[in-house]
Amino acid sequence: MKKNFTSPAGRAFLALVLVFIIGSIFNADGAFFKLGTHRDTLREMSVYGILACGMTMVIISGGIDLSVGSILALAAVCSAKMAIHWGYSGWLVLPACLIIGGLCGAVSGFLTARLQIQPFIATLAMMVLARGLSKYASGGMKVSTAIANPDGTYRYVNVPPFFQDIDHRILGGSFSVVTLIFIACVLLGWLLMSKHRVGRYLYAIGGNEESSRLSGVPVVGTKIFAYAMSGMFAAMAGICQAAQEQQGDPEAGVGYELIAIAMVVIGGTSLMGGRGGMGLTLLGVLTIGYLDKILSINAVPEAGRLVLTGIIIVIAVLTQRRRRT
Amino acid sequence: MNMKLIKILAYPSLVLAVIALTVGCRKSEDTQKANSPASSPPSQKQFVIGMSQCNLGEPWRVQMNADIAAAAAKHPELKVIFKDAQNDTLQQRAQVEEFAGSKVDLIIISPKEAQPLTEPVAEAMDAGIPVIVLDRRLLGGKYTCFIGANNEKIGKAAGEWIVKALGGKGNVVELMGLQTSTPGQDRHKGFLEGIAGSNIKVIFQADMQWLEPRARDEMESALARYDNINLVYAHNDDGAHGAYLAAKAAGRDKQMKFVGIDALPQEGIAYVKQGILDATFQYPTGGAEAIDTALKILHGQAVPKEIVLGTRLFDAQNVAQGGEDLK
Repeated sequence: MKKNFTSPAGRAFLALVLVFIIGSIFNADGAFFKLGTHRDTLREMSVYGILACGMTMVIISGGIDLSVGSILALAAVCSAKMAIHWGYSGWLVLPACLIIGGLCGAVSGFLTARLQIQPFIATLAMMVLARGLSKYASGGMKVSTAIANPDGTYRYVNVPPFFQDIDHRILGGSFSVVTLIFIACVLLGWLLMSKHRVGRYLYAIGGNEESSRLSGVPVVGTKIFAYAMSGMFAAMAGICQAAQEQQGDPEAGVGYELIAIAMVVIGGTSLMGGRGGMGLTLLGVLTIGYLDKILSINAVPEAGRLVLTGIIIVIAVLTQRRRRT
Repeated sequence: MNMKLIKILAYPSLVLAVIALTVGCRKSEDTQKANSPASSPPSQKQFVIGMSQCNLGEPWRVQMNADIAAAAAKHPELKVIFKDAQNDTLQQRAQVEEFAGSKVDLIIISPKEAQPLTEPVAEAMDAGIPVIVLDRRLLGGKYTCFIGANNEKIGKAAGEWIVKALGGKGNVVELMGLQTSTPGQDRHKGFLEGIAGSNIKVIFQADMQWLEPRARDEMESALARYDNINLVYAHNDDGAHGAYLAAKAAGRDKQMKFVGIDALPQEGIAYVKQGILDATFQYPTGGAEAIDTALKILHGQAVPKEIVLGTRLFDAQNVAQGGEDLK
């Protein structure tokens, strides 16, 4: 038992249990015990969680990806443009947006791995670039179901079935499709990191890049792959965001990269690279997601929420450090 | 702070695109001018107006520029040069100085901040160029005319409409704009004035920071906690739309009304037309009024020092007729 709580997963799990205990005490007149609250919480954390999946791969490789929020916005705008304005089917919109996100990520990866630009700078540049592209593609306006005619009036179209399917509930309304997509992303990330060769390469590169190069790991290709995956996850998150808003907002996702990084770190994945995993990230996502919900149902004012969230992050990171010594 | 940093960093990305666009537009504008001198009588004096917009990242400001362009297009003697300061105070200061240096006939400015832009505007006034200040105020009184809306009045109008719509009693969820911003504070204050004396109870309040996804999350919390909600008042239409989506997903959208503010044609007004919102209150851009005032100034007529814009109500009954003016 004791051994379980000293492992990284054990500690991350402990933090989640603690949050649940807090929720049970401050249950907002029983709102915390309703099934619907948990369904909503799982939906609300999903977009951040999908970003965190890609972020985990990049962080384990010893990098960081600041561009995910902007790529999310770009994918949101592009998917809304294609699905709402042009009426394309989901089978076309989904791969097209994933390719756009993947390409953005691959460019960051190329800048980092091949041209040796620090990940912080390379992805910062991509963050600015992708935000610009999303504003350019949308003309600075939200891409919504109100479409401007040339004479300045508007015509209205229905929300496309592709978006309705994503922002939908299954199992008698007890589970959101967005949450299902998030779980699929976690599974995909877990398979890549734990069962596939590329995962072993990423851990090796994050642990010691030079020695993995010397032992024949294809460092450049693997790193580009990690950033491209992060871009694709961000694009998936962007599609989910657009579907839930029923529009593509070029200003969406500002600051989301920091939430995603916090989720990864609270799970116990090391920012130094080489240590961590997708399961830990899932725990981190649940912890922050539930913390947010508990503060929300109790209608805690914004100032208090920020302070409490900050304190929790510090505590979580401090427990990690004790583990290392 | 980080958000701010990110925002600041995000704007330079627009520089290239905006430069390319403005250069492109300017060119076509110039050629148009060169081709059409015959259409306007040569005796009529041409006026050049410089317009400095603090940023074009907000749809509302894009709308303001569009309103100005549309109003100016009705007067062939006016030529408006648009500049976007990309949320950079110093850049906006440079733009004002540039306009003053190139001796435009009139400057319209929608300033980012009061303090640093007061001085350059005063200098332009000293150089004999009239200045119209739009939306946000400057310090002191060295400008020709201020045109702006009053968020507190709009909040009050919304509050009074809500009292009427609910018959004087009911449970209301308030989704507030960023409470460290003046519009957010004023729309809250005005609303409380509007519902004062009625039996309207605000049962749930949250700061959704003007963001639609946040509004949806907060509304889900309110729905989880309260079984009887009669109306949602959001400080912008995005927030009201997010709340509607949350209620719709819970199958409770028919049990309550949704009220927003801003009434942009492609957002709030569209939502009312689609039956998503029950009402939205316009936060006017003042673009058309600015051009009217500019014409008066340029023709030597007197204008008031301050013009406070009213609001327009758009609801299911009047949206087809283009809303209703509220005093």
